[in-house]
Amino acid sequence: MRRFVVRRVAAAIGVLFVISVLTFLIFPTIPNGDPALRIGGRLATAQEIAQIRHEWGFDKPVYVQYARTMEKIFDGTVVSYTQGVNVLDEIRHGLPATLSLALGAGFIWLMLGILFGVVTAIKAGRFADRALTVLAFIGVSSPPFFLGALVIYYLGYKAGVVPLGGYVPLSQDPLQWFTHLIAPWLVLSVLFIGIYSRVLRSTLLDTLGEDYVRTARAKGISERRVLARHVLRNSLIPIISLWGLDFAQVIGGGAILTESVFSLHGVGQFAAESIGRLDLPPILVVTMLTAFAVVLLSAIVDILYAVLDPRIRLSG
Amino acid sequence: MRRLRSAGVLGSVLVLALAMSACGKSTKAGGTATVLFGTAPDSLDPGMAYTTQALEPDQTAYIPMLTYAHVAGTAGGKLIPGLATALPTISADGKTYTMTMRHGLVFSNGRPVKASNFTYAVERALKIPWGGSSFITDNVVGSEAFASGSAKSISGITADDATGQITIKLKAPYGAFDNVLAFPSFAPVPKGTPFKNEPTNPPPGVGPYKITNIVPNVSYQVVRNPYWAKEAIPGIPSGSLNTINAKISSNTTANALAVLGNSADVFDFADTIPPSILAQVPSRASGRYEKVIKNSTYYFFMNTKTKPFSSELARRAVIVGLDRNAIARLGSGFFTPACHLLPPGIIGHPTGPCPYGDPTKPELAKAQALVKESGMAGTPVTVWGEMRSPRRQFVDYYTSFLNQIGFKATEKIIADATYFPTIGNLKLNPQTGFADWNEDFPNPIDFYGILIAGDAILPTNNQNFSQVNDPVINAKVNTLGSLYKVPTSSLSSVASQWQALDEYTSKKAYTAVFGYASFPKLASNRLDFSAAVLHTVFGWDWLTFKLK
Repeated sequence: MRRFVVRRVAAAIGVLFVISVLTFLIFPTIPNGDPALRIGGRLATAQEIAQIRHEWGFDKPVYVQYARTMEKIFDGTVVSYTQGVNVLDEIRHGLPATLSLALGAGFIWLMLGILFGVVTAIKAGRFADRALTVLAFIGVSSPPFFLGALVIYYLGYKAGVVPLGGYVPLSQDPLQWFTHLIAPWLVLSVLFIGIYSRVLRSTLLDTLGEDYVRTARAKGISERRVLARHVLRNSLIPIISLWGLDFAQVIGGGAILTESVFSLHGVGQFAAESIGRLDLPPILVVTMLTAFAVVLLSAIVDILYAVLDPRIRLSG
Repeated sequence: MRRLRSAGVLGSVLVLALAMSACGKSTKAGGTATVLFGTAPDSLDPGMAYTTQALEPDQTAYIPMLTYAHVAGTAGGKLIPGLATALPTISADGKTYTMTMRHGLVFSNGRPVKASNFTYAVERALKIPWGGSSFITDNVVGSEAFASGSAKSISGITADDATGQITIKLKAPYGAFDNVLAFPSFAPVPKGTPFKNEPTNPPPGVGPYKITNIVPNVSYQVVRNPYWAKEAIPGIPSGSLNTINAKISSNTTANALAVLGNSADVFDFADTIPPSILAQVPSRASGRYEKVIKNSTYYFFMNTKTKPFSSELARRAVIVGLDRNAIARLGSGFFTPACHLLPPGIIGHPTGPCPYGDPTKPELAKAQALVKESGMAGTPVTVWGEMRSPRRQFVDYYTSFLNQIGFKATEKIIADATYFPTIGNLKLNPQTGFADWNEDFPNPIDFYGILIAGDAILPTNNQNFSQVNDPVINAKVNTLGSLYKVPTSSLSSVASQWQALDEYTSKKAYTAVFGYASFPKLASNRLDFSAAVLHTVFGWDWLTFKLK
């Protein structure tokens, strides 16, 4: 276990370093991507642009700029080029909304994905399977911005059953927190439920034909127990793996569309707005946060693998 | 001071009573309104604020030395004294501006305002640096040296705290300098305010309100400045609301629906009402929605220094054949087809017909013939455009139109954030593409001095995209040009000269102007719509907001 943790921490540092360098290097290659021009605005004179370049250190070699930016990230003083706000403060403000979205939606899509996957596998070829398969395809092919717009118009504006967007902190008003998040949770979950149920259906159908399942049945174990203990437990491994990565991505700001459509002001929306402004520091920090979340969740998923399948060891 | 407040209250009561008896409707003082923005302000610190999303709240909290009349329409472009006792006196040579700070002013933190606080605000804006700093560095003696760090103060500005007198010396006469003094970025701030952008903790200012509870990119509040009542300034409303909540929500559809459904009160005029709900807005928001034209010009620039638009015939072909109605449709009807560079709210806007026919009646065959005649048929053209809608669609249409009339056009669409720096790079020498200009202030020199004057062609951040360098125009609008020097207060005396110049520019076909943008004025039924002003300079004038 100790070796496993050490390896994972080393891998995380390596991944974060590579990702930060790559992200940083993309910006100097953007044509006319000089941040001094954007900070100065349309009327800035050559002298003002030179002054901005000097004060922000854009006139230094790229490796010096990279080192200074990373130093500022780690001492917490990194600010956005275009708005001048502290990036880490912005992420701290956005993280509760993003975590709330990820936890609720992650729970919904995992539970419903498993439920629909099991039902479609058990009822394979029957009406329930076909109906849920159609629903899954609809879910997979409905982008969050489209579904979100429909939900806001019909359930928010017309019916008035959900708010038109925004986020209320859990500590401020738990009921409002829930009512503001229920629509984003469902919209974000729909896509994943469709994918997870299809993946699980396929894995379950494969597993149902395995020798050890036939053996279990031959031993006279009840069908429910066979499904729960022998089939589902083995079939969940790819689902857990998927869930870990997807959940990590949402925590790291990956739910850009859902957060933006519902104006949750989470990390994803901050990332989207920063991308629109080509604002390097926030993009860099959010990218590193996503990478960190993916590495961390991957490690947790590996531990869960070992729980689900004792043959898997944490040695490597 | 106390007497002033009593008089103000009495006056308000009388006005209210008269309004109630005359109109049969009532408004109530106090209360809270919510303004929704699709885009966050660049910064609420006046030393950095440049976008309309920032200037709207800043106008309530940072009154500059001069400001604009708080009324709708072109009358809103009239300069009035703000913190200055009167409009500045200008020396005979047009190079010295003198004004006096009102006596007894205090900041929203209770500290007294001195004349030198104005100098400090200007210095701070230059050091941050504010996006319009060039209005100072191009004009005020010693400001460039200060900005570059080679001088400790701006030698051209002197302020006497004892008398309140401020004197500003210009390098050369610049008629629009009055307008420059009306930017909130030059509104006095306390000495000691750091020379850096303070987006979450903007400095105290002088105004009816102050900005507080800022959560960047999420929300902020504008609340009453407790020190304001002591210093009511003629012509500047004290505001009716107690609190204005500003919320930033990137989903403009949801914002429009919230205002339509009266769960929020004001829709940001700079946001677009999505076409999916636009059709129902006039009926659902009857009496609380209208389109308002502001001073902006949208056009396709045509580089006169390179083929094919070095040919006047080729440029005329574009102007003759462009289907401005189609562009207006792409802009969801928020465009008035036009041909002149100066929009209707600016002095000098030509009232006569367009030189190449009715802009709403494109003549494709004539355009094709002109291209042939120019000898430029088949010339490859790169059309530059931004990604954002509907600008992308304008460029799509324009590219196909250029192909229709005989050029070989291909489009090059780039990210919004890099668009203007890219096409403003003179080395790139872009042939044609989308461009727009929204006034900094209602003065024709703000359009001509930046977009058309020969001395505005710059290697970096060039805004004269067509690279017009016409001696007739330069004689009027270059630095020291005859119209460049005319003070704002005397603009109407030279209106006919501006009009002739703008007609000349249209005739030379330097730019393919396709329209003037209009903006949605949409409010909830809680707000007194007729009292709320969508101002030509300020955008929404928050000081005119009242609840019914």
